[in-house]
Amino acid sequence: MPGLSHINNVSMLYLPAVLLAAVRLGRGPAIAASLLSFLAFDFFFVDPRFQFGVGNPSEWASLILLLFTAIVAGQVAADQQARASDARAREREAIVLYDVLRLMTEPDLEPSLRAVAERLRAELDLAAVAVELRDERTPRRFVAGDEPALHRLGPGLASRVLSSGRAPTAAQRAGPGRWVRVIPANAAPGVPAQAGFASVPILGDGTQLGSLQLLARADRAFAPADDRLLTAAAAQLGTAIVRARLRRDAAENEALRRTDELKSALLDAVSHDLRTPLASILAAASSLRQRDVTWSDDERAEFLASIEDEARRLDRLVGNLLDLSRIEAGALRPQVGWYDAGALVDDVLGRLRHVTAQHRISLHIPEDLPPVPLDYVEIDQVLSNLIENAAKYAPASTTIDVTLRRADDGLRFEVRDEGPGIEPAEEPELFASFHPMPRKAIRSASGIGLGLAVAKRLVEAHGGRIWFERPNDGGARFIFVLPLAIAA
Amino acid sequence: MSPSAGARILVVDDEPAIRRAVRTNLHAHGFDVETAETAAEALERFEHLRPDLIVLDLNLPEPTGLDVIRHVRERGSTPIIVLSVRDAERDKVAALDLGADDYVTKPFGADELLARIRVALRHLARPPRGADSVFRTGDLRVDLERREVTSGGRPVRLTPTEYELLKAFIAHPDRVLTDRMLLQQVWGADYGDESHYLHVYVARLRKKVEDDPQRPRYLITEPGVGYRLLLADE
Repeated sequence: MPGLSHINNVSMLYLPAVLLAAVRLGRGPAIAASLLSFLAFDFFFVDPRFQFGVGNPSEWASLILLLFTAIVAGQVAADQQARASDARAREREAIVLYDVLRLMTEPDLEPSLRAVAERLRAELDLAAVAVELRDERTPRRFVAGDEPALHRLGPGLASRVLSSGRAPTAAQRAGPGRWVRVIPANAAPGVPAQAGFASVPILGDGTQLGSLQLLARADRAFAPADDRLLTAAAAQLGTAIVRARLRRDAAENEALRRTDELKSALLDAVSHDLRTPLASILAAASSLRQRDVTWSDDERAEFLASIEDEARRLDRLVGNLLDLSRIEAGALRPQVGWYDAGALVDDVLGRLRHVTAQHRISLHIPEDLPPVPLDYVEIDQVLSNLIENAAKYAPASTTIDVTLRRADDGLRFEVRDEGPGIEPAEEPELFASFHPMPRKAIRSASGIGLGLAVAKRLVEAHGGRIWFERPNDGGARFIFVLPLAIAA
Repeated sequence: MSPSAGARILVVDDEPAIRRAVRTNLHAHGFDVETAETAAEALERFEHLRPDLIVLDLNLPEPTGLDVIRHVRERGSTPIIVLSVRDAERDKVAALDLGADDYVTKPFGADELLARIRVALRHLARPPRGADSVFRTGDLRVDLERREVTSGGRPVRLTPTEYELLKAFIAHPDRVLTDRMLLQQVWGADYGDESHYLHVYVARLRKKVEDDPQRPRYLITEPGVGYRLLLADE
């Protein structure tokens, strides 16, 4: 049958057009192309030519076959194409959602939301994107896009309520300030009515947390695929925001708990430190008042010395506490003058002679030391704290070395004891003020902690530095260096 | 010279000034005083000297005062008076529960410490109460054999629980008894945290045996710690 093969050969020319229409334009155009090729074929190639109609009935079969083939091929191709583009859309969706998720795992909610807004704007090629949170005390929005676009996106929630006349929700009313219901004469219709604008609610925990507001570029609209992506992104945001808030609440609770712990550790330490000398004073003073005993002169002197020493110790403690609070308040200014450091050391040791009575003091002070710019009272306190600690922690009849020496960066003060030394675990916290410590450690560390914290702050206020060294042959060595020039 | 004079007292405190003051004072009152600076030293002294009484600062670096109490209690009933900084009620209760006899809060006056030492030593000198079936202090008289309680001569009717509670106090006169100790003695070993039971019964007991329940003479509250049956001065 020459006619049939003739039709079949020529029909091959039409199929690519149908397939092209299917791939490019989809299902409907593919059917239209099929019908069109059917008609064109009938018109041009089937006798009688140049008119619609079929002369030879046997050619009907070929024509119908052509139409059928064109439609089926077109539909298969269009299907395939739709599936491929759907897969592409889903892949994009997955990538965007993954990005949203990744951005939201950042510890801070605000930069994350801003980054998410920017990511969505870039992905969908939008003019502006805003993430608005409304259940906080004050509604906040995080935006991406340029100024004019943002302006077109509309004002924030507060002014929108004013212009639309909608009553604020309970959560909004709970915020600071007063809500007044004002309905302006020219109340603008809600921005959402605008074309190219989309607002997707952000839900989480069963409530609306806010909304995702988007503005397309001029003369562009949102595609259904975009809608699906935005809904998914908003859901993702909702979960992430709820999680971030829970995380923040947990962190706040933790911080509060730590502050509480710190406060009670501080109170524990301070009350113990203050009461210990008080106990000695009270025990000695009440002994002296007892009438059923006659005290010898030596005993009386001993009680009195005890009262005096412990009162001085109390005074140093109170001084440290006050210094620390002044330092923490940033109100510490050394009254610097030029002094002989050797005389200062002698002074301190003289004042602490009762404290160090059980120890041997070994002094190393070179003759030719230059005068040092320092606040006499403050550096006196630093040295007192170091020497008092040494006397407190080193057993009786061991030696406490006090050494002054010139160093490259200034004048170096060293106090070294033969006590048990400092545990490596304690070292990093040594100069910290009132770090929370396990209960049993507070006792042994409270005095030292306070004294060293104060010493560090005072030395640093002089532009110097203080540190701890572990001598090879045991004990502890505390060193501080004061610069020989007045710090600017 | 007081009857308790000559007793050997071990004073344990890591504060040299306290040790010195307490030692001088107790010595002047006729006691034989030894001191220790750490818990380890205290235990060593305890083994060697076998003191009649221990004055113990709870707040020692490791091992702590509580470890000393535990150790001493494993070896006998040497009275222990605990020194502790105020506001450390939990520490006091822990020490008393472990078997310390009394506590003195720092800062303390010399007379207060002396009085507590004398009370603790007096118990030591007194024979155990079992033989003596009638307990008397002030206006209060309890005949343990006949279960008769009189206050100022008039009979007092107590419920069985109230009577058991009074008996628990009488078994340890002048000693601080923690809530837990009293609960376990009167209600049984399963009790310990139900302090409110105890407070209710103490209040009822006071109403019945005290002249002025608002200002009790016998059943004294030790704030945050427990109660003490105070013996009237004879």
